Amino acid sequence: MVFLTPLFLIGLLAALLPVAIHLIRKEKPPKMMFSTIRFLKKTSKKLILFQQIQQLLLLALRAAVIALLVIAFARPLIDQTVARLLDADPQSVVILLDNSMSMRYGATFDDAKAAAIEILDDLSPGDEAALVLFSNSAETVRELTTDVNTLRSFVEGMGESGYGTTRYMPNLRLADQLLESSRFENRAVYMISDFQTEGLEGSDDDWKLAPGVAFMGIDVGSEESTNLVLTDVRSPERLLEDAAEQQILVRVRSSGSVHVSQGEVTLAIDGNLVDRVPVDLIDQSEQVVNLSAVFDTEGTHVGEVTLNGDSFAVDNKFYFTVDVSPKIRVLVVNGEASDDWFDDEGHWFGLAVSSAAESPFVLELVESAGLSVASLRQSDVAVLLNVGDLSDSQAAAVTSYVESGGSLLIAPGDRVDADRFNQQLGSISPANLEFQGSTGSDDYLVIADFDRRHPILRPLEANWSVRFQGHWTITPNAEADVLMQFDNTEPALVERSVGEGKVILFASTMDLEWNNLPLQGLFLPFVHETLRHLVQPPIKQRAYQIGDSFSIALNEQPNAVEAQGPRGDPLEFLDDSYVVNAATPGLIRATVDGVPQNYAVNIIPEESRFAKTAVSNIYDMIINPDTEPFQSREVRTAQLIEELERPQRIWWWILSLVVLLLLTETVVANRTYR
Amino acid sequence: MTETLNFLDPKVLASLHNLELRARVVVEGFLSGLHKSPHRGFSVEFNDYRHYQRGDDMRHVDWKLYARSEKFYIKQYEDETNVRCVIVLDTSASMSYTSGGMSKLDYGITLASSLAYFVMRQRDAVGLITFDDKIRDYIPPKCRQPHLMRILRTLAQVEVGEKTNAVKPLSDLASSLTKKSMVVLITDMLDDEKRVINTLQNLRGMGNDVIAFQIMDDAELNFPFNEASEFIDMENNESYITSPAAIHKSYMENLNEFLAFCKKQCQSSGVDYCLLNTAEPLDEALSAYMTKRGRSF
Repeated sequence: MVFLTPLFLIGLLAALLPVAIHLIRKEKPPKMMFSTIRFLKKTSKKLILFQQIQQLLLLALRAAVIALLVIAFARPLIDQTVARLLDADPQSVVILLDNSMSMRYGATFDDAKAAAIEILDDLSPGDEAALVLFSNSAETVRELTTDVNTLRSFVEGMGESGYGTTRYMPNLRLADQLLESSRFENRAVYMISDFQTEGLEGSDDDWKLAPGVAFMGIDVGSEESTNLVLTDVRSPERLLEDAAEQQILVRVRSSGSVHVSQGEVTLAIDGNLVDRVPVDLIDQSEQVVNLSAVFDTEGTHVGEVTLNGDSFAVDNKFYFTVDVSPKIRVLVVNGEASDDWFDDEGHWFGLAVSSAAESPFVLELVESAGLSVASLRQSDVAVLLNVGDLSDSQAAAVTSYVESGGSLLIAPGDRVDADRFNQQLGSISPANLEFQGSTGSDDYLVIADFDRRHPILRPLEANWSVRFQGHWTITPNAEADVLMQFDNTEPALVERSVGEGKVILFASTMDLEWNNLPLQGLFLPFVHETLRHLVQPPIKQRAYQIGDSFSIALNEQPNAVEAQGPRGDPLEFLDDSYVVNAATPGLIRATVDGVPQNYAVNIIPEESRFAKTAVSNIYDMIINPDTEPFQSREVRTAQLIEELERPQRIWWWILSLVVLLLLTETVVANRTYR
Repeated sequence: MTETLNFLDPKVLASLHNLELRARVVVEGFLSGLHKSPHRGFSVEFNDYRHYQRGDDMRHVDWKLYARSEKFYIKQYEDETNVRCVIVLDTSASMSYTSGGMSKLDYGITLASSLAYFVMRQRDAVGLITFDDKIRDYIPPKCRQPHLMRILRTLAQVEVGEKTNAVKPLSDLASSLTKKSMVVLITDMLDDEKRVINTLQNLRGMGNDVIAFQIMDDAELNFPFNEASEFIDMENNESYITSPAAIHKSYMENLNEFLAFCKKQCQSSGVDYCLLNTAEPLDEALSAYMTKRGRSF
């Protein structure tokens, strides 16, 4: 039984009035002197009992009359009929529950869970529902099921929201796809979210829900929000030892609907507070803060930038790592040493290696005779500049050096004999030398193409205007990669991995004898990047954002790989390549064969923008023109009830019963005496 | 339209405070409605002479004295009464009940005084006993005129008594009666009616004429109450809370059973029984007496 105007049921209290009057008026009766009570006392006890029953019956009748009148005004309806009709129109609903980081604001996520449970509670038996927890991806999916209780238990058991960013459209598409398997015509998508404007980023304006799929947005976000967010942090990833004081640039922004004007940024390195700077946003919405830190010891350092001054702490931390490495030891073998610096083969290269204010290199310049196994062992990289007089033992040492992991840069010039070179270093060289080529004084070769994705050349995306008047025609090894070509299609720069080492061959000289490269602005970065590439392994990315998946940097055949999440919980790898998912901001600490690695995981600052969009905006974007306007279950129920009430008219029967009871009351009252 | 004043109406009588006047009004009013009887007298015992006055019945002239004195003297006789009437009036507390008009006691006093007046007018001897649980006043029957005044004074001074015990005064009366008498009991009979009627039967058995006037208030006879009340017995102060309308039927059945018993027992033993409603005139009571007295006017 349901009531269309249940507030009238308060009037049921009036049914107590006859009882109250009965109790109140139960005062002592008046005394009356009478000649004798002998005829009164002879009255039958049954008669008295009958009279009492009649009085109680009268009382009950009067209370029932009032109660029924109240019930009639409350417009009762047999709800079994409603339920049956509602069940006759079963529906399929997909509940999209926003699980992004912004839902952590205040009690937003709890409100969202309550809204989801309310939707589930409103479903009738036979309805089917699906649940999707979403942010920038669908994090958890429960497909359409009639087991609503399981969904409700799942929602009730959910903890806190995630850290992802909000994206509406992909998940609306997913909901639409889920509804394709619906058994019912009545289909709807419920989206419970704080409806950040940011969630519409990258929306496809043309996409619509399938015809007939209704959309209902439930906004649980706060109308007012206060928040400071670290929108950007710039920190070095890799440093060489003895580096100068580093500047950490932090961009702070007030992103809530209520402006926050003051705050503070602190910097901690390896858990030690090293700097603290106040934030002043009185006259600006964003401020760049400069923090200082010194990384003077070798190894990996962990930095943590913390922002204070608001109530939403989730986006107030930024983590980063800095690898501090020793300087690169470079052994340059000068094949054409000269007292005249202009003609000295190693002069220009030496300038490029050591001229920087804080050069990351330690240069050792030797002539061919000075090349030894010992000198090679003390070097991270060896450079052969126009060296054509290596002894076989020296060549063997170089070969062994490379094969054992050393790196070698070769720049052959006019002093190199092709056959001898090919014989001595052919096993490790990326290419065999064929013959020297010269364009003459009036002509030259230029660099026509290069591998822009290669670590050496990627940062050197510029116009290579170097003129080559002399070069070696080379034949690249099958295992070598051609990184750069002359405009005559001959290789200019080739690379080959040999054992654990790498060898790069530049098909020209590193002085001004065959080209003008040393005079070009590109020369120094080219030399630096080449040496770095030869010595240092590729920089493994250490900083990720929420939602990223990345693999732990491994040795070739790791024996033991472990990883712990920011909360110290062991992480499970997604596959055999040790891929982990960055789901929580903080530091992921991994160990590979006992060697520690740190990975910083940070939130995506765009998620901290709490600007809201209207539900109607999304509705207008996605609703199919062929879809009937959405009617909530309450509205549908009200309409059904209205339709059902018309033929039922229970209140009419109740009023008839009231009239009947009143007649009965009249009869009983006339037979009942006080 | 002028309403005929009924002097026997208790309401009218209640306005008359002089009991003698009330009795006279009752009796004269009652008698005025009767035809004159052809019966010529009932006194037989000579009492005195007086001079003849015009209109006197010539049959009462003492012709012998006329022969000696040549004057007409009319013989006056003192009636030799052969009826001794004793009015026994119940003055117990229950008799003081009234639902608005005359109380049963007032009605009984009026009836008693009327009967006394009436009896004296008949030249019969009349006596009076008032009682509750014992005899309060006793006036032996006589037929002299001052005696009537004594009875009326006694009746005027009657006070409401306590419980009823009619057996004892009636028994005492039975033992004191030396001649056949007429005993008029005026009571509501709210006593042990079986014993009372037994006593009346004894009186009747001794050759006495017995008339029992049972006086009941109209409220007692019809029980017109509606509101729940605590009824308090006027004689023993017991109380009983009830809804009168609810038990009306039961009350009436019990009452009628009681009245029927009294009537039946009285009639079966030769006791004249007359139920009087205090709301009704006294004609019936006087008629009953006259019927019993067996004389007419």
